[in-house]
Order: sequence, then C-alpha cells, then structure tokens
Amino acid sequence: MKKIPVTILTGFLGSGKTTLLNRILSENHGKRIAVIENEFGEIGIDHALVINADEEVFEMNNGCICCTVRGDLIRILGNLMKRRDKFDHILVETTGLADPGPVAQTFFVDEDLRDLFQLDGIVTLVDAKHVQLHIEDSSECKEQIAFADVLVLNKTDLVSESELNALELRVTSMNSMAKVLRAQNADVPIADVLDVGGFDLARAVAAKPTFLSPEYPFEWAGTFEVEEGVYELLLEDGPDPTLVLVAMYLDANEQAHDKLAAERALRIWSEAAQETLPSSTVEIGGTQAASLQLKAPGTKRFSLRAGKAGRLGLYTQHLPVEFRLRLLRGESPMTPVAEQEFAAGHTHDDQVTSVGIHLEGEIDGERLNQWVSQLLREKGTDIFRMKGILNIKGVANRFVFQGVHMLFDGREDRPWGAAPRASDLVFIGRKLDREELTRGFELCRA
Amino acid sequence: MPSLKMDAPQGKTELVSRWTLDAGDYIAAAELSRDGRLCIVGAGDGAVLGIDVDTGREVFRHVAHPGGVLAVSMAPEGTQFATSGQQPNAKIWKATGELLRELPGGGSQWVDHVAWAPSGGRIATAAGRTVRVWNADGEPLLETEPLPSTVSNIAWRADGTALAATCYGGVYIWPFVADAKVRRFEWKGSLISLAWSPDAKVIACGSQDSSVHFWRLATGQDSEMSGFPFKPKALAWDSESKLLATSGDATVTVWDFRGKGPEGKRPIQLESHKSVCTRLAFSRRKCVLASGSQDSSVLLWEPRRTAQPVRYAFLEDEVTALAWHPEHQGLLGGDASGNLRFWEVS
Repeated sequence: MKKIPVTILTGFLGSGKTTLLNRILSENHGKRIAVIENEFGEIGIDHALVINADEEVFEMNNGCICCTVRGDLIRILGNLMKRRDKFDHILVETTGLADPGPVAQTFFVDEDLRDLFQLDGIVTLVDAKHVQLHIEDSSECKEQIAFADVLVLNKTDLVSESELNALELRVTSMNSMAKVLRAQNADVPIADVLDVGGFDLARAVAAKPTFLSPEYPFEWAGTFEVEEGVYELLLEDGPDPTLVLVAMYLDANEQAHDKLAAERALRIWSEAAQETLPSSTVEIGGTQAASLQLKAPGTKRFSLRAGKAGRLGLYTQHLPVEFRLRLLRGESPMTPVAEQEFAAGHTHDDQVTSVGIHLEGEIDGERLNQWVSQLLREKGTDIFRMKGILNIKGVANRFVFQGVHMLFDGREDRPWGAAPRASDLVFIGRKLDREELTRGFELCRA
Repeated sequence: MPSLKMDAPQGKTELVSRWTLDAGDYIAAAELSRDGRLCIVGAGDGAVLGIDVDTGREVFRHVAHPGGVLAVSMAPEGTQFATSGQQPNAKIWKATGELLRELPGGGSQWVDHVAWAPSGGRIATAAGRTVRVWNADGEPLLETEPLPSTVSNIAWRADGTALAATCYGGVYIWPFVADAKVRRFEWKGSLISLAWSPDAKVIACGSQDSSVHFWRLATGQDSEMSGFPFKPKALAWDSESKLLATSGDATVTVWDFRGKGPEGKRPIQLESHKSVCTRLAFSRRKCVLASGSQDSSVLLWEPRRTAQPVRYAFLEDEVTALAWHPEHQGLLGGDASGNLRFWEVS
C-alpha cells in the first residue's frame, strides 16, 4: 500500500504559512488534502478538510528526545485513516515558535503512523524582512531553517536584492540541503512544495559545489569591480572578536572563487595577518591578510584602498552576513559580480551548519548501519537531519535514507540508470565535525 | 493490510459464522445490547447501523457523523444509545434508530469518546481536554476543568459511581457520591488505553512508550510493565478482575492479579497471531478471551487452562472490533474493510 505523503509547514508568525496553505488549497490540483492546523490557524475552505489541533508535544518518561512526539497528530491522523476514501496528502501547519523535531519524529516513532504515512518534506517559510530579528539568537528560528527540505524566502518585495542574497547565503550556510525558493506573496509553484520526497540529493550536490570543494580557511569569496579610490568596509557585532580578510586583485575574467585565484588568496592567508584596528586602511593587493579587530561594540568602519581600477577578490574568514559586512562606495553599497561560499573548515560551537560528503565506490551496508547507529546514538541530539543516496554493494537500486535526530529509515529507490553510481550524504546540525564525519563515512567503503 | 497471514491452528475448530454483513467502511466501534438482541455499529464513513443479532438483518442505517464514527455506547436498559464522531456534537438515539437529541461538545473539537454509565443513567463525553457528564435527558451535570492535554480515554466504574479519564500526564477520577474528592494519578507519558477492573480496585493503562501501568486505587501504588515492542492499544479484564490481557505485540500477555498480583511474576504469554494484536475482549460469563489481530485472525483462549488457542476464526482485514454476547452465545467481530461477522460460540 502506498504511504500517504505528509508535508509540514513551519515558519514564524507572519512568515506567510496561512497564505501558502490557502494557495495550496484553492489551487485545482485534484488532490484530496487534509490540513491539520494549529489552534491559532484561520483557514476556512469548504472543499478541504481542515482540522484545528492543539499542538500537544509529548515527552516520554525515559527522557529520550527522539521519543518526543506530537500526540494530537497520532490521534487525529489515526482517526482520519479509518475512512475508505482516504486522503492523497496531509499538510501539518505548526505554530510560529514550534520546534519541527517532534512533528517530524512522530512519523518515524509511532508504529501506526509509520505504516501509513511518509514524511514528504518540511517546508519553512522565512519572512525575508523580519527574519534578521531572530536568525542569530532564536534557536527555534535556526531549527526551523535547519530542518527544512524547502526554504521559501517570502516577502522579497520588502528587501533589496543584496539583502536577499545575503539572507540566502546565510540560510544555505545553515542548511545546504534545502531547495531555496523566493516568493513575494508565498507565490511558489505548488509542485515545488508538495511531493518533494523525490528530491534529488545528487542534483543538490551538483548545484551547490560547496559540498565537494576543498577546505579553505575562508568561508566566502566575493568578486567586485572597483575604481581607483577609497572604499568603506562596515561590520556590525558578530560571533567573533576578529575577522581575517584578504583583498587582492584578480585578472580581468577571473572570479574570486576560481580555484587558481582562491589558491593565490590561500598563499597570502598563510602569512601572518596584520592586526587592523577600526578606522585604519587595508590596501588591496597587499602581501598580508588583515585581521580586523572587532571588539568595540557597534558599527566598525575600515577603509579599503584601491591603488588602481580593476577586479577585487575579497575573501573573508566568516560569512559576511554573520557580521553584516558591507562594502560601500560613498553612500552606495557595492554588489558583488560573483560570490561563493565555501564549506567551513571550522564552526562555532553552537552554529547550525551542513556537512555534505561525496564518496565514490561501493558502501558496505553492514558497516554503514553500524556507523550510523553509533553516530546517532552519540550525536543524535545535535544532528537535526540527515539524508543520503547511497551506492550499496549488492543492492541494484539507489538506496535512499533520511533521519531526524536519532531516528532514521532507509529503503531501495529507483535503479541508477545512466546516473553514475556514487554516494552522497548530508548532515545538518550543531557542532558537526566535517573531518570526523568524512572519515567515518569513508570507513564504510566496501 | 495484514502483512502476514496466520494459518489455522492445527487440531482446533473454526468458529461457525451465524451471519456476515458488509457495513461499508472501517468498523470503528461495535456494541451489543445487554439482552444480546441488538448490535450497534459505527463505521469509518460516518454510518451508524442497528443490526438484529439473531438474523444479521440491518434494522436501520443513518449517516450519523459525516467524516467518521469514533465511539458508540449503549444504555444499560438497551432502549437508547449514544454515538460520537468527527463532529463537535454527540448524539443520543432510540434503540429503534430515531435521533433523540444532541449533546454539544462546547467547541469545534471532535467528541472523541462517549460512554453510558453501567447504572445511574449518566452519559459521559470527552471533547478536546474537557470531560462532560449528562443525565439521560441531556441535561449537563458536570463539565471538568480542561485537563493538561486531550482526553485519550474515559471509563466508568462498574457501578457507575465514578468516571475515570486518561490523558498525557495521568489518570483523573471524578466521583459521583457525596463528599468524595477528585483523584489523580500522575504519569509523565501519554496514556492511550484504559481499563478499570470490574471490582473497581485497579486501573490499567497502556502508554505510548510501549508500557502498561496498573494503579491500585486503595494505595495509589503504580506498577509499570515495560518491554512491549508496540504500544498496548487493547486491554481487557476478565469478569472476576483476576486476569488482565494486554496487547503490544503479536503475543497476547495476560497478567494474573491473584495473590500478590502480577509484579515479579511471569505473565501468561499467548502466542499464535502472526501480526500485532489489535483487540481483546473477555466474555462476561466465562473466563474466555477473544483476541483479534492485524493479520485478520480472531482467536479464543482459556488462559488459565492452556496457552494454546481453543478456537479460531478469520475476518478479511485487520480486526478493529470485538464484542461478546452477554450470555456467551456468540462473538461479534469487525474489520478495517467494514466486514462484520457474528460467530456461534456455545
């Protein structure tokens, strides 16, 4: 029997969940959809079944976080499934401050729901304008972004293009697995938010080369066209008291993230960095990196001097968005011609990040099982989500699996066909150690 | 869908079916009247059926609760019955099928449970976190403060003088005798099933975390029996309050409350179903237990005598309802595809 797909809609109050729900329900897609709405929901649509539920998060006496589930869903969905004319799709809307963990876990933990439903995807709406208020200090906000399969940056008409780019970089630094969509009035194609279960990890890896790129000491590289003169570099308070930066000239057609350019930057980076206090000047094309001293509270201003016109490659130790780093010419902000984020070689302790690992060759199923079981037992609290498409020895088809905290399930998917047989694994969570994860995964080779 | 099919147990006799009826959709609830002549069935498509137990003839059928029936409960006199479903009202009917009145749930939430007291003429309903009690004329007698979470079950004391309800967080008991206080047994976990022993001494609950709890009302002592692979959805007491049968696996576990009780004693294990046990019912007259399974099989046991099934029968799909004839003349079973069957037993 085919399992019924479940889509979970999360996002802070005002992010546009209700608008998106209304759009999904009013569109003529021929699906019988049941919506489980939180108690504050206000959907009223005649031809869809909308059930208001108190979000009842049940912790179990054993204290295990993976046993924390949504009791109301178990009860309501159990009752809905008694009808012969069953639903084609279930949508669960959560309240603004909800942790997506328990609702996702419910579909793994409860034996009845596990048999009948399949978690299709977690869709998180992000209010592009107001998310800045929460993104750095609200764990709920970070978790909602980290858990997402699809991130909808909504209300894009209220922010500038560069703010939007910065936001997209910020959210993908936390969750590189999610498909990111931009929307004004939650106007995303329905097909992009429902039935994303077939979401192709390999395609995501192809689209986001940071998964595979070598590790640099910088997390971001931006390419700018500059005139001769002095530019202003502005930073706000961020997660670290210093930020190392390299500013160098590029060739005319070169991009800062090109391999050769990045390696030139790396050589400059390896020299001792010049301590640079606010108000002082950084010379483009200098032989040293600058270590910007950011202890003083409030906006820090540095000058960036271009001795000649040309192409600037700017490399920063952390993502610009973490410090709201801006480059100004006079009053006007500069937009990079190109920019690229690199997988971080280091992480802040509690920062939410993604680690993607690509492995050629076949995987030993038994070894993988042991490794994943042990990993989740020890680190499951910090690993929010995990997804993989694996090339398992002796299995003809692609093997796909996904996990939420300590719970995971895997199954054979379609045949590989013309696609190259290889394995991709993505982790999203806190305190992820890329090297350790990579080493562990490599040991699972057959 | 049953995943594994149980083979007929060797050397045992299959129960003889008196009649079979297609109720149309998932049998969500079924009860027999105390005189054993009428059976009331609630189905997943919202229909409530009255069936003549002797002949299997459908006496009436009403779409009572569009969206699905959740609970059915007959008055002890057999002249009326109550139903609830995916609607904010419960309904009271004459045994002949005429709607008498509706009992409002007080909000937009479904009335998940309805239970007619075994005596005293009271009816209890639960919607969301609130329990309400009504008299036979539909006048409200009690509306509780909201419990910490949605009520997961309600059960009357066998003499009708108190009502118990479970939720995530524990068991509550409201007495209907002068000067008695509301009692509460706390448990940090989601209690999903409830059975109050006929002698009123023990409350048994199944928990979402795959354990069974017994509370002895005299002392408040709480015992936990864990280690089930699945959550124990079905619980049944024998009429003497000596045996408690619990689900939670393909194996039916029976706890013996004689002497010092089941704590520290090995329970009786009844193995034969191929898939998880979904329904349990003890016959009121004899110590015969009926168990139904996801694998569509129904087995009869005499757990004190033997751990082997004594009789067997099959439905077509997962067993979702079992109800004994009060005089032990037969057994009613229903399944997830809407099949309803009455077997001769004596």
